[in-house]
Amino acid sequence: MEAGGFALISVALLVSAIAVVRGRNLVHAVLWLGMTLLSTAALYAMLDASFVAGVQVLLYVGGVVTLMIFGVMITLHGDGKPPEIYVARDGAAAATALALFSAIAWAIEATPGLDASSAPAAVSIADVGRVILRDQLLAFETISMLLLAAIIGAIVVARRKDPGTRTSPSAALEAAARAAE
Amino acid sequence: MSTATLALLTLALPASAALVLAVVPILRTKGWPAATLAVLSAFLSFGCALGVLSRCLADPTPEVLAVPWLRTSNAVLAEVGVRVDGVVASMLVVVTLVALCVQVFSIGYMHDEPRPAFGRYFAYHALFLLSMNVLVVAPNLLQLFVGWELVGVTSYLLIGFYYRKPSAARAALKAFWVTKFADMGFLAGLLTLFAASGKFAWDARLAPGAATAVTMLLFLAVVGKSAQFPLHVWLPDAMEGPTPVSALLHAATMVAAGVFLVVRADPLFAQAEATRTVMLALGAATALFAACLALVQTDIKKVLAYSTCSQLGYMIAALGAGSMLAGFFHLTTHAFFKALLFLAAGSAIHAVHSNEIGEMGGLARRMPVTGAAFVIGALALAGVPGFSGFFSKDLVLEAVEGKLAGVPWAALLVTAFLTAFYMGRVVVVAFLGAPSGAKAEHAREPGWSMRGPLVVLAALAAGTGLFTASFAHLYGREYHFEMGVGPSIAAALALAGFGAAFAVFGRRGASLPRVLGLVDRLARASAVDRFYEFGYRRVAVTVAGGLGWLDRYVVDGLINLLGYEALEAGERSRAVQTGFAPDYLLAAMLGVVGLAAWGVLR
Amino acid sequence: MSLSSCLLLSAALFSVGVYGLLARRHLVAILLSIELMANAANVAFVAFGRFHGGTLGQTFTVFAIALTVAEVAVGLALAMLLFRRHGDTALAVATETKG
Repeated sequence: MEAGGFALISVALLVSAIAVVRGRNLVHAVLWLGMTLLSTAALYAMLDASFVAGVQVLLYVGGVVTLMIFGVMITLHGDGKPPEIYVARDGAAAATALALFSAIAWAIEATPGLDASSAPAAVSIADVGRVILRDQLLAFETISMLLLAAIIGAIVVARRKDPGTRTSPSAALEAAARAAE
Repeated sequence: MSTATLALLTLALPASAALVLAVVPILRTKGWPAATLAVLSAFLSFGCALGVLSRCLADPTPEVLAVPWLRTSNAVLAEVGVRVDGVVASMLVVVTLVALCVQVFSIGYMHDEPRPAFGRYFAYHALFLLSMNVLVVAPNLLQLFVGWELVGVTSYLLIGFYYRKPSAARAALKAFWVTKFADMGFLAGLLTLFAASGKFAWDARLAPGAATAVTMLLFLAVVGKSAQFPLHVWLPDAMEGPTPVSALLHAATMVAAGVFLVVRADPLFAQAEATRTVMLALGAATALFAACLALVQTDIKKVLAYSTCSQLGYMIAALGAGSMLAGFFHLTTHAFFKALLFLAAGSAIHAVHSNEIGEMGGLARRMPVTGAAFVIGALALAGVPGFSGFFSKDLVLEAVEGKLAGVPWAALLVTAFLTAFYMGRVVVVAFLGAPSGAKAEHAREPGWSMRGPLVVLAALAAGTGLFTASFAHLYGREYHFEMGVGPSIAAALALAGFGAAFAVFGRRGASLPRVLGLVDRLARASAVDRFYEFGYRRVAVTVAGGLGWLDRYVVDGLINLLGYEALEAGERSRAVQTGFAPDYLLAAMLGVVGLAAWGVLR
Repeated sequence: MSLSSCLLLSAALFSVGVYGLLARRHLVAILLSIELMANAANVAFVAFGRFHGGTLGQTFTVFAIALTVAEVAVGLALAMLLFRRHGDTALAVATETKG
């Protein structure tokens, strides 16, 4: 029963992942990513990591996928059609990915005693909470600072400079880009 | 104060003067301060030299004051300092005295030069006196070589004093090159000596082959410095320098340095009879050859220049015959009367504004002191009995007699006749008779700064003969004068030479038959120069050009190639930076794969 | 379900992400691939946590998710900037670092 569930989730995971990278339509690719992330959440739940599964759904599926959709929409050309994604450099990419997988797979197979130990005690959410908010509090706070920095950085990078305040090369470029659309 | 310290002062005084003049340019540009400094240092230096000489006459043991100079970890290879003995003492007196006379003379002679040039002139004189003294007091051959080169440099500076004149600049270079070529011999000889004996001293005992090699190489340097055939060619050209310079360097002192070297290195030369034979032959040959050339010169300085070559030949021949005393004594008397002759000539040139004897004439009446001085000098040079030259030539002839089948002796006798003859010619044409033109008519006696030294040197030229015995005593020899066969013949030849000159040139407008004289001798004289020119132009320039090509295209080419390759490598490396982000990603991922593989394979 | 099978799954997901990173042209598509790779890493962490015990697996995963979210935000901002400058979203057009 367990093994079958695992097999099912694995297949769903892999299929949707491949669909992300091989899809011709970008919006479809984003949706397939959502599917991948959901499958991962299911896997987490199977692995007794319900908290992480919840976080995954919340942040990844809810946040990241939404962000991605927004990103795609904003970078659309004027005709509103979903952008065509051309897959380039297939051979080298596939070869590299295959080589990497072989290396890691072999490492996994070559490591002894991976499956030997007995199933240890399950970890409760309370335990996880205690670690995050007490033992690793510094890391937690640092992450929040990092998120703040990321927000500010993203805003600074992406903001549109007012054409009226100062003439700058980026403003000229933007004007040209807009004219080209 | 020890004798050696006194001798050191003869160095230190001109050294200080030269140093001060070098670092305080205003003393030079104002002219008179430099002259004062130089003359003062020369005067004091002469005083010290007299002190040294008097002490040496009382106690002739050599004294050395030296500090280690070249050192290895366990031995001292050479010292620098002062060595005083009879030879050094007398040479110091000669050098400083003549230098003093010349410098005082120069005050008058160079009076019309612009102030900066005037100052520069005296600075060079201080430098020369320093250099010559370094050479004279050297305790070993290495320091002697240093002094040797230094006087060569000073000679270059002074010959080329009128540097804006192309002929003067060329003459200075020529002197420097010819003597530099000869100095290669000195250097090679020094190195050979060191290789054979481990020191630079002249009292080393060497194997016969080594002794011959070393002395032959040193003799090469002497041939250059003392203007013997075939390296005599620079001396006539050196007359481009101011006449006092010719008097000091190219008559009395610098050219005598070669003779001095042989006298110093006597222990070495004594071990190499072969070299001495060569010296005897070459000296006698040069004496005769130069005397012939002196006969046909019209420039009074050139006559004296060839005469110097000839007299140096006498000295070399004497040394080759083994008599250091004869060679050195003739050096001393020659210094006095030749300097006298040059200064008197300078006085005449200054008055007439020309070097040509043809433009002089009757100067004795208009310039009595100068005229008398010149005549006294001429008599001394010719070896007329009673004057100093007679005694020194007598010693030389005595030394040379009987060697090499008497050929050198005969040559020197003929030369004595020719010497009297060409000097007589100059006396008759320039000083006696009537002025040849307006220039000679307006000649006037110069001031006392120029007449004073003439008087001093005339007295010495006349009277040094009296000191022959003391001189010999400094050498540890006894001397008694006897009017034997040799001296009688020499005296007769001298008087005959003068008589012939009077006879030939006394008549108005006479000159040697051209067919016999000019063509033949001039051809011989310029042949040597043409040989050098060929060597230089064809051989040296070609070789230099070839080496230059090698330097530019091979050596530089190699370096340029390396530089070019570095640039090219950089250009080619740029291709990696495509700016194409997917390329970078690929590279990064390949790196990850590599790391994973490495981690697995370990 | 064993640790090695989970890890193999993680490796496979990661490799797919690598393929996408290298093969895709659109910048946002590349960001999606990066998401896949991060996700694969998280799977490995949780698997280790489940089979070897301890809280490290899950806590690390939580932190990693937070980090990845931040990275996506900045990455999308960059994509917008790229689009504004060059009028095209292909990563290939950003050749300012050439040479």
